[in-house]
Amino acid sequence: MRRITMWFTATVVIVVLLFSYRTSLGAGRAPARTSDAGSDAGANAPGIVSGPTANPAPAPGSTQGPGPAPTTGSTSTGSAPTGGSAPTGGAGNTVANGTVAQTRWGPVQVQVTIAGGRITDVKTLQQPNGNFRDQEINSYAVPQLREEVLSAQSANIDTVSGATVTSDGYISSLQAALDAAHFKA
Amino acid sequence: MTTGATRIQPGRPGGRGQGGRGGPVPAAPAGWWPDAIGLAAAFSMLIVVALWVRQHGLQDLFQPSDGLTSLGRLTGLVAADLLLIQVLLMARVPVIERAYGQDRLARWHRLVGFTSFNLILAHIVLVTLGYAATDNAGPVREFVSLTLDYPGMLLALAGTVALILVVTTSLRAARRKLRYESWHLLHLYAYLGVGLALPHQLWTGTDFSASPLATVYWWTVWAVAAGCMLVFRFGLPLWRSARHRLVVDAVVPEAPGVVSVYLRGHRLDRLGVRAGQFFGWRFLSGPGWTRAHPYSLSAAPRQDLLRITIKELGDGSGQARWLRRGTRVLIEGPYGQLTGAARTRARVTMLACGIGITPLRALLEELWYRPGEATLVYRARTPEDFAFRAELDALAAHRGVRLVYLPGPRAADDAWAPAGYGRDDHLLHRIVPDLAWHDVYICGPDGWMAAAAEAARRVGVPPEHVHMESFSW
Repeated sequence: MRRITMWFTATVVIVVLLFSYRTSLGAGRAPARTSDAGSDAGANAPGIVSGPTANPAPAPGSTQGPGPAPTTGSTSTGSAPTGGSAPTGGAGNTVANGTVAQTRWGPVQVQVTIAGGRITDVKTLQQPNGNFRDQEINSYAVPQLREEVLSAQSANIDTVSGATVTSDGYISSLQAALDAAHFKA
Repeated sequence: MTTGATRIQPGRPGGRGQGGRGGPVPAAPAGWWPDAIGLAAAFSMLIVVALWVRQHGLQDLFQPSDGLTSLGRLTGLVAADLLLIQVLLMARVPVIERAYGQDRLARWHRLVGFTSFNLILAHIVLVTLGYAATDNAGPVREFVSLTLDYPGMLLALAGTVALILVVTTSLRAARRKLRYESWHLLHLYAYLGVGLALPHQLWTGTDFSASPLATVYWWTVWAVAAGCMLVFRFGLPLWRSARHRLVVDAVVPEAPGVVSVYLRGHRLDRLGVRAGQFFGWRFLSGPGWTRAHPYSLSAAPRQDLLRITIKELGDGSGQARWLRRGTRVLIEGPYGQLTGAARTRARVTMLACGIGITPLRALLEELWYRPGEATLVYRARTPEDFAFRAELDALAAHRGVRLVYLPGPRAADDAWAPAGYGRDDHLLHRIVPDLAWHDVYICGPDGWMAAAAEAARRVGVPPEHVHMESFSW
């Protein structure tokens, strides 16, 4: 009887300790991702956000791809990325959103910044984050894809091994953004 | 015999009047239940695999980067389903028990258990290797990061450890060394293991919540398994124990090392127990209550009185003779298929060995038969070891049961007759020449039952007329 009590107590202690671990109550999320993909993910209309050509973003009906329609007028303020580092609207800068590429793990959408005829930045507005594995993979795949784009200066880049799905979505969204900005490598 | 307890005297068919019918009780048709339940289990496997295919499981299988992970997912999903099936197999669900019998269910539980455990090990290895391949990390590092960083994974690891504990203590070599009580308590860790595996299935597994159908399916299976377990293993036994308020009434020696325990209770006719069935008994008299002992009724149940007869084996059953009058008793059951419902023939032969006489003694009291239609072949080591001699003689006198006592030491491992009686099937044929047209009820140690069933088969008894049930754990 004594032994049973001790086993029971030990078991309860261990289970309680296990549940106090940070990943044990479902709160464990990937380490903070890059600033993009704010809480309003999905509200970014494809097309030019700002730039010398000053085309307003296309009306919802004319967007290609299954991207969600913006709820407010597609002004640049409504759809500007939340990350503050983008030099939006600066002279000679073009900022364009890609279409939302629906992959089997979730939507992917990128925003490209073009300055002086070069791709200077790519931001990821949406990426699959349905589960921890996606977040883990994207946390290394997305920066790698960005580097590839900046050095290739086009959407002709290799997929990241182990992140084929995200890569494909990334490339197709990027291509749409480059097309919208009339960017030719 | 000095206790003044109401002795159970065999006389006319007793029980709850069943025996009063004008003929053998026809066997309850097994019906569609066994097929339906088996089909449901197979169907659940199919759903699991189909959900995996729907989640691109097949396509991924042939991709270099995702192949291992995909296979790992499949093994994990099947293992999860099997774990829940295992819980259901042991949940004492009446319809499942009736369809297959507890002894078969226990065998399957063991088989399914080892299968699901191996699949779990495969799942862990495959997913670790698969993730390591895509992350370009070493398997050990990947394993550590999986365990520490992915949601619910530390719990899953702890659950696996619990299951390892359960499986290793259930290997035959380990089980022989363990007391039943220890083994049984350790086995409860299986519930912990299954429960601790759930969080990672929800948060890290993609298939569990991949589609509404998958979510509905998995939650349904979980709810059914947990619900059946709580209702049929805890709720119902506790409710029955409370309702019928069984207490020890008297303890009476029957033979060397064999005692009968008489139990009084309320409204026992509402218990729905028949002769030949057993309960799990917990005597609330001391430390031994953590184990439920399976004992058959050794007399047809009465409205206010049950009797069990116990051979002292040193596994806690030795304390039976010290039970005090008034000791409260918890029951689980009634269980068992070795009843009159299994009967299809007018003539019946009972083969008993040692303490295996108990359910057969109760059946002889409850079953309906004409004089000469029932035969009891009773084997024991020495003439002194025969229990219930007076009662059996009374059955012979009042109801015309043929009694054949076979005392003697064991002859060989595969022989049911004691040494010195000649060849097994010859003996059986000599005792009951028309055995092929009898229902044959067999009860005794496992090896002996197998030998007796084999002898009956050789004499020409069709398998569906051989009725037996194993009680060993």
